[in-house]
Amino acid sequence: MFDAEKFIKETISKLREDVKGKALIAFSGGVDSTVCAALVNKALGSELIAVHVDTGYMRKNESKEVIALMKELNLNYRFIDASKEYYKDLKDAVDPEKKRKIIGEKFIRIFEKVAKEENIKYLVQGTIAPDWIESGDTLRDTIKSHHNVGGLPEKMDLNLIEPLRDLYKDEVRKLGRALKISVSERQPFPGPGLAIRVIGKATPERTKTVREACFIVEEEIEKAAEKGIMELPWQYFAVLLPIKTVGVHGDKRAYGDVIAVRAVQSLDAMTCQFSEIPNTVIDKISTRITNVLGDKVNRVVYDVTNKPPGTIEWE
Amino acid sequence: MTRIYVIDNGGQWTHREWRVLKYLDVESKIVPNTAPFSEISDADGIVLSGGAPRIGIETSLGNCSEYLKKADFPIMGICAGHQYIARFFGGEAKPSIIPEFGKVEMTRLEDGSTIFEGVTKKSTVWESHNDEVTLVPDSFEILGESENCKVQAMQHKKRAIFGLQFHPEVEHTQYGEIIFKNFVKICQK
Repeated sequence: MFDAEKFIKETISKLREDVKGKALIAFSGGVDSTVCAALVNKALGSELIAVHVDTGYMRKNESKEVIALMKELNLNYRFIDASKEYYKDLKDAVDPEKKRKIIGEKFIRIFEKVAKEENIKYLVQGTIAPDWIESGDTLRDTIKSHHNVGGLPEKMDLNLIEPLRDLYKDEVRKLGRALKISVSERQPFPGPGLAIRVIGKATPERTKTVREACFIVEEEIEKAAEKGIMELPWQYFAVLLPIKTVGVHGDKRAYGDVIAVRAVQSLDAMTCQFSEIPNTVIDKISTRITNVLGDKVNRVVYDVTNKPPGTIEWE
Repeated sequence: MTRIYVIDNGGQWTHREWRVLKYLDVESKIVPNTAPFSEISDADGIVLSGGAPRIGIETSLGNCSEYLKKADFPIMGICAGHQYIARFFGGEAKPSIIPEFGKVEMTRLEDGSTIFEGVTKKSTVWESHNDEVTLVPDSFEILGESENCKVQAMQHKKRAIFGLQFHPEVEHTQYGEIIFKNFVKICQK
């Protein structure tokens, strides 16, 4: 089994050997980067600077919550709002790999800028096993370029430190519990954020639609799980599709977007089974999305694909 | 400590095989399939991982033929590793008529094999393959099948060499951990 205490001890002493001077950690506020930051903070203390970038593709209220989290963890942090730049650079990107590479490279350029100002030579990332496995290498096919591995530019000035490289999400959560991290049970959220939950061009407007839909899916499923109507899935979210379908609104023809709801059971993200959501819950989600987002969305579908053949996220 | 190495044929789940072995307190490491046999000669057993190479189309798989020629320890081939074992011993692998991805039901065809000790007659296994074994070598027998794939598992009639088309290393395969435990026991003999 995974021994969190042993892992913490060994990693701290290795970090103290490997890192001489200041380090920057890419901090999204998700489980991996938060647990990684807490661990590295134990080893390096004030030599560690956490950088959170608001890409414009975060969930509802997310960046505010991330700032609170960085304070809670006593991290030396920087908050950078780069949403306008991200929207501009992704304006015409449709291909998911292109989106991921633009996002990955942009992160690095921002980190390099901070590093230069602060004289930092190390970049710490909360990379875990599925990130580099799916990004591919000389032996392995690329399933998708995770922004923190396959999305990294070929040339970069910082030395990469990735203490969680050999762990999977369930092990990172165990580590988080041992480090008493409040967000250790949070559902996974991809680094490229909502940009890969808008299929096709991730415009600010379409991002707003999927953000609201994700919020509704999260709220309804969490409410149902709390009431004991269903088990809380491993991951649950909405995806905005690039097709329009016909509907009827108040005796008038409607022609609007489609939201796909996805909820899965997994342990480590390497395989998943779609979750069984009670009809009453999926009904509530469908009605709420098509009412709150009535001027945009008039149809909701549920994704019943396992991994393989699907992946968890659509892009 | 028992040493079981994982030969990396470029699979999505190679690292998962390493994790399962580590959890079973086995000394393990991931070895690229380009490594010479001398790098694995001290093993008590090896796992040949799956991978993107199409064994139904291509004829080689790194240095796997060298390992199969020289090894006197138990070997468990998974997916592409399994198909390659069939090829090596004179059988055949070809593109599947209906490839399997995700959840599949496997039926055991015998009840004496050590690798399946504790696995029920019917069980859920997880799949991800484009090719499959279409002709089992004379020296092997079939252990299990599914609706669309007649060779889900096979074993050598005399030696401890096993081939599995499905993936015992992933969480969603019902008896995956038991199969790995059985393999570890076989390697300890």
